[in-house]
Order: sequence, then structure tokens, then C-alpha cells
Amino acid sequence: MLENAWLIPLFPLLSFLLLLFFGKQWKEMSSHVGIGFTGVSFLLSVIVLFTQMANGSGGAEMVWLTIGQLEFRFGVVVTPLNALMLVIVSLVSFLVHIYSKGYMHSDERLTTFYSYLGLFTFAMLALVISPNLLQLYIFWELVGVGSFLLIGFYFYKEEAKAAAKKAFIMTRIGDVGLLIGMILLFWQVGSLEFNDIFTAVGGGEVPEGLLTLIAILIFVGAVGKSGQFPLHTWLPDAMEGPTPVSALIHAATMVAAGVYLVAALFPVFEASPAAMTVVAVVGGFTAIFAATIGLVQTDIKRVLAYSTVSQLGYMMMALGAAGYVAGVFHLMTHAFFKALLFLAAGSVIHAVHNQNIEKMGGLWTKMRITGPVFLIGTLAISGVPLFSGFFSKDEILLATWYDGRYGLFIIGLVAAFFTAFYMFRLFFMVFTGEHRSEVTEVRESPRSMTIPMVVLAFLAAFSGYINTPWFGTFLGDWLAGDSEFLPFEHHEGPVWVMMAASLIAFAGIGLAYLIYYKKSLQRDFLSSHMPATYTLVFNKYFIDEFYQYTVEYAARAVGYLGSFIEKYIVEVIVAAVSGVTRAAGSLGSKLQSGQVQTYGAIAFIGLAILVFLVVWTGGYL
Amino acid sequence: MMDWLTLMIFSPLIGILILSVQSAERKTVSLTGILATVLPLLLSLVVYAQFHGGGNLGVSHGWINFGGGMFQANYELGIDGFSLLLILLTTIVSTLSASVAAAQIKQGLKAYFLWFLILEIGMLGVFTAENLILFFIFFEITLVPMFFLIGRWGFVEREKAAYSFLIYNGLGSAILLILFAAIFAKTGTTNIEELKAIMASSEAVSEEFRYGSMLALLVAFGVKLPIVPLHTWMVRVHVHAPIAVVMIHAGILLKIGAYGLINFGLGIFGDQFAKVAPFIAILGLINLLYGAFLAFVQNELKSVFAYSSVSHMGIVLLGVAAMNEAGIQGAIFQTLSHGLIAALLFLLVGIIHQRTHTTKLSSLGGLAKRMPLAAGFLLAAAMASLGLPGMSGFVSEFMAFLGLFETMPWIAAIGTLGIIMTAVYILRAVLGVTYGKTIKAFTGMYDLTRIEMIPAAALLALIVLIGIYPAIITHTLQLTLESIMPGIGG
Repeated sequence: MLENAWLIPLFPLLSFLLLLFFGKQWKEMSSHVGIGFTGVSFLLSVIVLFTQMANGSGGAEMVWLTIGQLEFRFGVVVTPLNALMLVIVSLVSFLVHIYSKGYMHSDERLTTFYSYLGLFTFAMLALVISPNLLQLYIFWELVGVGSFLLIGFYFYKEEAKAAAKKAFIMTRIGDVGLLIGMILLFWQVGSLEFNDIFTAVGGGEVPEGLLTLIAILIFVGAVGKSGQFPLHTWLPDAMEGPTPVSALIHAATMVAAGVYLVAALFPVFEASPAAMTVVAVVGGFTAIFAATIGLVQTDIKRVLAYSTVSQLGYMMMALGAAGYVAGVFHLMTHAFFKALLFLAAGSVIHAVHNQNIEKMGGLWTKMRITGPVFLIGTLAISGVPLFSGFFSKDEILLATWYDGRYGLFIIGLVAAFFTAFYMFRLFFMVFTGEHRSEVTEVRESPRSMTIPMVVLAFLAAFSGYINTPWFGTFLGDWLAGDSEFLPFEHHEGPVWVMMAASLIAFAGIGLAYLIYYKKSLQRDFLSSHMPATYTLVFNKYFIDEFYQYTVEYAARAVGYLGSFIEKYIVEVIVAAVSGVTRAAGSLGSKLQSGQVQTYGAIAFIGLAILVFLVVWTGGYL
Repeated sequence: MMDWLTLMIFSPLIGILILSVQSAERKTVSLTGILATVLPLLLSLVVYAQFHGGGNLGVSHGWINFGGGMFQANYELGIDGFSLLLILLTTIVSTLSASVAAAQIKQGLKAYFLWFLILEIGMLGVFTAENLILFFIFFEITLVPMFFLIGRWGFVEREKAAYSFLIYNGLGSAILLILFAAIFAKTGTTNIEELKAIMASSEAVSEEFRYGSMLALLVAFGVKLPIVPLHTWMVRVHVHAPIAVVMIHAGILLKIGAYGLINFGLGIFGDQFAKVAPFIAILGLINLLYGAFLAFVQNELKSVFAYSSVSHMGIVLLGVAAMNEAGIQGAIFQTLSHGLIAALLFLLVGIIHQRTHTTKLSSLGGLAKRMPLAAGFLLAAAMASLGLPGMSGFVSEFMAFLGLFETMPWIAAIGTLGIIMTAVYILRAVLGVTYGKTIKAFTGMYDLTRIEMIPAAALLALIVLIGIYPAIITHTLQLTLESIMPGIGG
């Protein structure tokens, strides 16, 4: 079965192509095509997962490109990490396909929407079963295009156009890092197959300085894709896309590809302590930096977007602190609870036609399914005990603690506090208090939307139990089990870490409760007492403006400088050359005066020159 | 044995003869014009089949002979993998361009097709000639029709563009002529294969002469490619020539520069080329970045794509300068890939111009609403141009950079800035035209017609095919690379 795993991405590809070429006539039918094909992918992924668990890893490959003696291959490989990713991606994609049937039903470009979803799902599934870095890079770029097309789905909106462009360019900056790292690695190892790379790195074939450089360059790619600082600015803007897309691409799957990349190449990073520190520090900084922005945003999707950036930073921090299992575990639980939160947010937006949380409130009694599932998602992300996020977050904190990165450990705790606070701020603002929406008749969303949310809510609540200190670390044993390249240590964690994490979560929730539910604390505490800080945070630390005034204007200035050179230097030289030619031409025409004597004189001079040349060059010419 | 190559090169003559005796009625002229380009297309497919069937296609006849054998030039034709692919590119793009011309050329269609078919003879001959004199003659044959095609059927500043074209290319071919004469004087032969052998072994030719010849080739073909700062004529032609001619110009004629550099520069003077490779790499870097930054500040769609061509030709130079298989194969891929992509881009620009009568970025916007298919194709072409995997541009850029990183990692690292800038300027221009608010409501806008779909879909299909299955090119190219590589001691 494993060598036929290529069938998994094939079905979404078929969905994309069918809808692209024939979908225009199908209208409503197109959603069924998309749902059906993705459903098959999901079933196959589950089969592959169980086959892998039973029989171990496997795959198949063929030659794709030859350059003289060099060969680049295409194929599939199924390892525990890949199998897990296949199931996560195909499941979330399947649920989002179903959800979109309700959410997008009135859109006249429904077919286009489903075909783009198919393209994205195809690329994402193909990415996670790549057996080599080149194939991964190829699909890495293609998921970027899927994301670009879907962010720009409402192409007639200027904001959507700008956001799509920004997402493409910002991630491409990262991609170039990945490309350089990949090529440098190729010339060291002679192959881009993961196994060859790990063998070479394990055997010490790559000099350490160079290995650090390569690992950091590859990480730059992950920074771009996973919205890490300083390339994070595109991700919040990507919320211009339809909400199901935000759930699938910009929360659960594509943005986690950066984390997946670092996990898939973990032996390369692990061989370079400096690179590990870079990963951990960038991740930790992003985690807390984005969380602070999330505290003050008022757009429901933007809060969730900054939360995503922050949680991805958490995962990076875990990987950098040698917490391979912790990072991947959190990737999984986050995929479920964040997809849930986005879908629930979409359900709310669908009901009140607004994204501003100031214009919501009191929806708990009106949305009897959306409210509870949103609460489950909020509890999970806040790290409340017994929900999935609690276990994975705990693993991350333990990993930083055991790696001796105490500073990052504290950052992790503080970020957890912020997370609990802003998430419950969101919950209380949206679902409790008085009704502030302009839409008076708020109705619960149709069943096509609520069923996917309920499934995700179930996973957000219980998926953590596959890796707990109480019942066993099944996930960790399996993930790192059969690989010779991945060391897995059990952290028999001190109980106080778990207690501290729980207390922090409850503290954050409590503060949000006092401010936004009981209203016993002032809401405008930050904005009135520290207006400068508030302005800074509210404007996302002015990073967009900074980029605009530096990079963007610099590029334009270089362009204008080039135009100036073109106009006043290149063209002037050209004019000079053609002027000389013309002068020579008019000189020539003056010579044709009709006077035979002149002709004779010129002919004689010419002959003399020729004879001289022949003698001088010794007979040539 | 059939002389398929001669037959193919001169097959447009049949169209010329029929056109010249036919009535000037538009419909018949269009039909004859298009069909006349289908004939060489079919013959080039025969040549392709013969090449892969192992048939010997080479031709050699005594031709010019005087002075009792002192001056002898033979009529010699032959192909290798690279020239075969360029021939296919020529015949395919010519047919597509002819169909565009039939739709867009308003007046003097008959004269247009006469010049156009002569141009095709020249192009096919250039890629087939095995002899410098013959090469030069075909090279010149491409110049004259181009001059008239630009000057008579172009846009506002067509005459200036035509003269600019003639002056630059005339200078380039003058250098070629002098060089070829000097080479003949030194070696006594104009046969390319013989020259390769002589330059590889004989001590008869001084090192200075080889360097001089190599640099002369660099300038002569640098005009054609074009290498910055010899590029201004080409931007003018892109902007002011009729769209169908620009498809040919960007798609094929510029490729003569790359073909000449690789086939003559690298093929005949490999050792000298290797010595100046860093210099060529820097030229390539300048092309890549200068073109990209200028494309970023243009206000008109055609100039964006013109500078984009300058930038993309930088990749050819970078690949060649890498002097290894990956780099050279990348350069060759880029030559072919850019030919297809540029043809597609200009085809779409032509269609947009036909509907809106403008190519100014400031007056275009939101076209995806009224012309979803055209916008979709334009976006796909843009993605191909910025090197999206799954399309031909990625394979060529990847190989060129792969090669260059092995030999000149620093130049390659700076060059990757070009990859980012390409995305920046392409998306700025293309999204500006297709996405966003509709700026002006043009009357009588309609989407791609079925007829227009055919060339667009054909080009896009080829671009995607090469991107997904590059073996279709490497399969033909393999033997050529093996013959170039030993020449440069790689």
C-alpha cells in the first residue's frame, strides 16, 4: 500500500482539474466533487497510517530530472511523521470542504473556489510525502500558489489583491533561503534524498560551519512559510481570504509546513547547536511578540491570526529545544483546535456579517452549537487541563526546561498567560454580554457547517490523550521509534511544571473574566495608562510601515536610479555612437563629389594602405 | 536519402509563391499565411522523428569555390539536440504568431506574410547552418524582414524602433562578418565542426586571436541576447513592434544570441570562455538585476515584459558562466522556456490591447471580472515567468543556480535576489491589470474567443509539460551536452 501512497494527492488533483475544465456547468455539483475526492484521500490516508503502524515505513521513487551524471527523483515515502501529516491535512481539508458548502453557497464562483481548494490540498499532501528536498521545495511553492489564489479569491477587492501579493512575496523571500540552503546541501551531500542527507550529516561529512549556514538558510524558508518574525506580516493580512481558507491554509496546514520542514530535517538541525538556538530563539520571540499583538486587536480573524503566529512560534521553540515530539504534537493539536476556532469564527461572521468583536456579543444563547464548540477550542488553546492543548503545551515547556533554556521557558509561560487572556477576551466579547450586532435575527449556521465543527471540537478536546504522561506516550514512541536519526528521550517531568502551566492558564482566563465578563476591571487599562505602548502594540509595532519605508522604497529607488542610468548614460552613449556613424556617413557622401581627381586620390591612398597592411601582416588578410 | 533539412528551411517558399500570385482577399491570405507556416512545422516534426530514429540528417554540397580551392565554402547543414529544439520552437511559435497576425494585422496582410515567411526561412537556416558563411547569410536574412515588419506594421514610434533595430543588429553582424573573415583567413575553413577540432588542438592559432574572437562573439551575440548595456534597441522593439512580431522577436530571435554564445563561444572557444567566465557571470548578474529593477518601475505592460526579457536572459548568461553541465543545461532550458513564456505573455498583451486599446498600467485594472479566461492565462503566464515549479521556468532557473552555486557561490547568492525581484515586478504588473477595482469600463470587452484560446492553451500546455516532465527536453539534449562538455574540460 505504501508505494501507492501517491494516490492520496492524486484525488484532490483530479478534483482541481475536473472543476477547472468542466466545472463551469456544474455549479452546486462542484462542491460534491470536491468533498467526494477529498473524502477518498482522507480514507486512503487513514489506511496508510495503519499500514505504517503495522508494517513500518516504505515508499517508491522514479527519476525525474537528469543532468549528466546527476539525478533528481520523484516519489513518495511514508514515515510516522508523514503518515500523521497526511491524516491531519486530509482530515482538515475534508472537513473544510464540507463546511464551505454552507459558508460559500451563495458565491457565484463556487466552482473556482473548490478547484483552488483541490489544488491546495493536492500540493499540501504531495509536500508531506516527499522523499527528498527538491520535491518538497516544488510542492512548497505550489502550496504557496494555492494560498495566494485563495487569499486573492475576492480579487476585485483592493485589500485582497494587496494581501495576496504580500503573501506571495514575503514567503518567496523565505523560499529563496530554502533554495540556497538546498543547493548548498546538494553540493555537500551529492543528493537531496532525506536518507542520504541524514547519513552524510550523521557521518560528519558536512563541515560544521557550513552545516550551520545551511540549516539556518533552510530555517529562513520555514520562517517565511510559518509566519515567524520578521517575515510574519503576511499572515494576518491573509485573513482577506474566505474564512474556510483561513482555517485550512492559514491555521491548520500550510503555515505548519515550516514546522514540518524543520521536523522533517531535524537531524540536520540537531547536528548544529547554533542553528538549534536560532530556531528556538526566533520561535520563542515570535510566540510572545505575536501574543502581545493579539491582546489588542478587534477583528476576530486577526486575533486568531496573531494567535496562529504565536502558536507556530511555540512549535519552533519546541523543535529548537530538541523537543521533536513536543513540536509535532503541538502541530497536531493546534491543527485541530485552531481549525475549529476559525470555522466557529466563520460561523459567527456568517451569522452577523461582521468581523469586529465590538459589534458582536451575547451570541451564546443564539448559536447553540457554535458557542460551545468555540468554547472547547478556546479551552484547548488556553492550555486548560484535560484538553488537548494542555498536554502538548506541557510537552513544549518541559522540552525547553530540559534543554536548559530557562529564558525561553519563562517566555513560554508568559505567552501561555497572554494566550489564555486574549482567547477568553474573544470568547466573552463574542458570546456573552449584550447583543451589539446590527443583525437582529441571528441564526445558527446550517448543518454542513456545524458538523465539521463538532468533529473538530471532539478532536480538540480529546486528541491530546495519545501522548500523556499519565496513560503513555504513544505518539512519541511511534514518531521517533523506528528512525535511527531521531533520538527520543522521555521527559519524566516534574509535576510543578504542569501545575504552573495550569495556574498560568487559569490566571489569564480569570483576568479576562474580570475585565470582559464581570467588568469589575477597567477595559481601557492599557490604552489609558500607557498610551504609547498601546499605540505601538495596536499598530503591530509598526513593522509594516518600517518595511514600506525601507525595503519597498529602496527597491523603487534602485529602479528609478536604473531608469536614470538608462536614460542619461546608456542612451547618451548610444546617441554618441550613432552620431559618429552619421558623421562618417556624411563625410563619405561629401567625398562623392563627382570630381574624378578626388576619386583617384582616394583610390590611390586606399591601395597604398592595403599594400602596407599586406606587407605588414605578412600576407594575411 | 531525402534532404529533410533543406526541405524544411525553404518550405516557406511555397507559401511565398502562392501568396504572390493569389488575390489579396483577406480571408484567403490569412489562410495561406497560416498554412504556409504549418508546412515547416510538420517538416520539423519529421526532422525530430528522424533525429531520434538515428537518421543522418547532415548535408554537404560544394557551393562557392574560386581561386582553385583557395576560397571554398560548402553548403553544409546539420543539427544537434539544442538546434533541433530551437527549430521546433521556431516552427511552433511561427505558426502561433501567424494566427495572431491574421487576427490583428489590419492592413497589408499579404505583404506582412511575405516578409514573415522570409523571416522564418532565415530563422530556420540560422539554427541549421553548419558553416559560418551560411550562418551569416541566414542571419542577415532575418534582419531585413524584421526591419520592414517593425517599421511598417508597428505602433506609434515604429520607425524609430525599426532603425534602432537595424543599427544595433547591423553593427552586430558587421562584427560577425569581420570575425568570420578573420577566422577563415587564419584557419582556411568555415566549417563549424572543423573549427572546433582546430581550436581544440592546433597551435596554429595564437591565444590572443582566440581571445579576440571570443570577445567579438560576445559583443556580436550580446547585442542579440541582449546584454546590458546593449539592450535599449530591444526594449524599443518590444514596445513598438506589432504583437505578432514581438512574439517571434522575444520568442525566437533573441534566442539566436544564446544559441550563438553557446554554440560558437562555448563550443569553439571553450578554454577562453572558461577564463572569462567570472566576467560573463557578472554580466549575467547585471542583466538579471538591472532588468528586474527596471521592470519594477515601468508604467506600461509591454515595457515591463521587455525588461523582464532582459532579466531572464541574465539567467542564460549565469548558467553558461557556471561552466558545468547543470549550468549549461539550465541556460539551454531557459532559452527554450523563455521563448515559450515570452510568446504567451505577448500573445495575451496583444489580446488585452485589442480589447482596451491601451497597455498603460494606470488605466488597466480588474480585468479578471470581464475577461476571466484572459486574466487566468495571464496569471498562469506570470507564474511561469517568475519560475513557479511545475512550469518550465523553474526547471531552468533551478539548474542554472544549481550549476552556478558550485562554481561561483557568491555571484549565485546575489543572483537569488533576482528571484525575489521577479516575483515583485511580475505580480505588481499582472495583478495590477487583472485584480483590484475596474479602473475604466471599456466598451465592447469580451473574453478570449475559441480561436484565441488555441495558441494560448498550446503554449501553456508546452510550458507545463516541460515543467512537469523535463525529460522531454533532456532526452533530446543529452548528446549535445556530451559534445560540449569535453570541449570545456569540464
